[in-house]
Amino acid sequence: MTLRNEFARTMERLAKVDKDLVVLVGDISHGIFRDFAQENPMRYFNVGICEPTIVSMSAGLSRIGMVPVAHTIAPFITERSFEQIKLDLGYQNLSANIVSVGASFDYAQLGCSHHCYTDVALLSHLKRASVFLPSNLREFDVLFSKSYRNGGINYFRLTENAHGIHIPELEPGRICKVRDGEDLTIVALGPQLKSAVAVADFLLGEAISCDVLYVHTFKPLEVSEIEKSVKKTRRLVTLEELSMNGGLYSVVTSALAGRFLFGSLQFAVGDFVHGYGTYSQLCERAGLGTSEVVSRIRKLLI
Amino acid sequence: MAPNPKLRARIAEMVHRSGEGHIPSSYSIVDVVAHLYRDVLKFDKSNPNWPERDFFILSKGHGCAALYVVLNEVGILSDEAIDDYGTSWGILGGHPDMTTVPGAEASTGSLGHGFPFSVGIALGLRIQQRKNRVFALLGDGECHEGTIWEAAAVAANRQLTNLVSIVDWNGSASQLMPIDDLPAKWKAFGWRVLEADGHDPEELSRVFGPDSLLSDSNQPLAVILHTKKGSGVSFIEGHGTWHHKIPTEAELDQIMKELFE
Repeated sequence: MTLRNEFARTMERLAKVDKDLVVLVGDISHGIFRDFAQENPMRYFNVGICEPTIVSMSAGLSRIGMVPVAHTIAPFITERSFEQIKLDLGYQNLSANIVSVGASFDYAQLGCSHHCYTDVALLSHLKRASVFLPSNLREFDVLFSKSYRNGGINYFRLTENAHGIHIPELEPGRICKVRDGEDLTIVALGPQLKSAVAVADFLLGEAISCDVLYVHTFKPLEVSEIEKSVKKTRRLVTLEELSMNGGLYSVVTSALAGRFLFGSLQFAVGDFVHGYGTYSQLCERAGLGTSEVVSRIRKLLI
Repeated sequence: MAPNPKLRARIAEMVHRSGEGHIPSSYSIVDVVAHLYRDVLKFDKSNPNWPERDFFILSKGHGCAALYVVLNEVGILSDEAIDDYGTSWGILGGHPDMTTVPGAEASTGSLGHGFPFSVGIALGLRIQQRKNRVFALLGDGECHEGTIWEAAAVAANRQLTNLVSIVDWNGSASQLMPIDDLPAKWKAFGWRVLEADGHDPEELSRVFGPDSLLSDSNQPLAVILHTKKGSGVSFIEGHGTWHHKIPTEAELDQIMKELFE
């Protein structure tokens, strides 16, 4: 079971009770949507490889009261199609759910054309947008079910690298505390929770205890839990597989700026990561590997 | 005399008064927009969001002065709204905003958006098993945009016969990258194609009449209209400086003289 499978199962479940739900895909995921398509032939459309048009069509469906779910690969449905998201959905005050795969380095073997780390920042510029990074099984189902009819533009960014940590209470916008500590606050976005916990466990061996906070909803982001923690530790580390500009670090440090003094370290993606390999290898190349994170944190603590 | 001189006069006055607008692009479509609202589209002037209405989407949003004066003529848009065109306190400007303008079905301006948006509406109406039709008006210059052809392929593939694409073939594209045979291109994308003189009332009646619209074909209909930018006023016609030019007082007088002589 992957998050993508869970996505299809959630659509099947919701379509039974929500007759307005329509799924448009850009020539991906047909296999996992086979049952959905059979049960709902008039509410499943493999539109083709035309992502901007899929977004515009979603806006058109929303215009007459349908609840569209547009699904394809992250860079194409967000970066390529951003003007459609901005104008057709944002400016026209319409709503849609966009569900992407291929987050950050999930398509590590396919090169930079298939990497995606500015999508979250782009979407978050739109006032009516919510941005979710469900990163473990069950998370998509809960976050989508609670949000998909909120009348806004909802972006759900699926990962193929689930963090594997059970989060008992999931609420859109709510930050979850995963580890309790005193010396350092690590805030992890989406799949980077796995790395954050590994870093915290490693540091604990050096008698450094960390608060680890998990962010699955980038927008709206309720920072009070982060503020509480950083007030205590005075040291903030953010871990995100997003661009250095406009991501978690920017949002959190802006929100906390001027309230109290604290040190901070950002772990994010600086630029294109050329080359191929696995998700973990490219994360390492981007400076998100556990050993590099631990090493830079040690310097912060000196 | 050009058809619809009063509508053309209103457009020129609006643009002159506000200092904003595309007169030639509006003049090339004002006749078809007027024809659609007078004789073709189902709508309720007291309820622009009437669920059973036909949808008219002006994909080439810069021709919106034509839409505004026609919406005014049919009673959807008030005289006050027209008078306040282009002001900070009015609701009308250089491109339509569907969130504020009664009867504007889409907020267009950036080309290549309104048409795929229309395809989404047509698909949704099909899903909902509703009888409403969707008419999308595109520019030939707008047909440079890739999303026009993405959406054209999708609509034909889905056999969206509740959708009519109207192309204002005023030759804008020919100035930079000519689209030599627009009807052939729409045919190649799987559309049923009709052509007409976009300024001739009889021709418009023919292509938008029941015989044309109520076809057994499973292809959506593209109506390619041969039009002139600035049609109706000799010195505005064509592709010169008038594209986004504001008439002076003297030029406005000259426009009125030509329109009503």
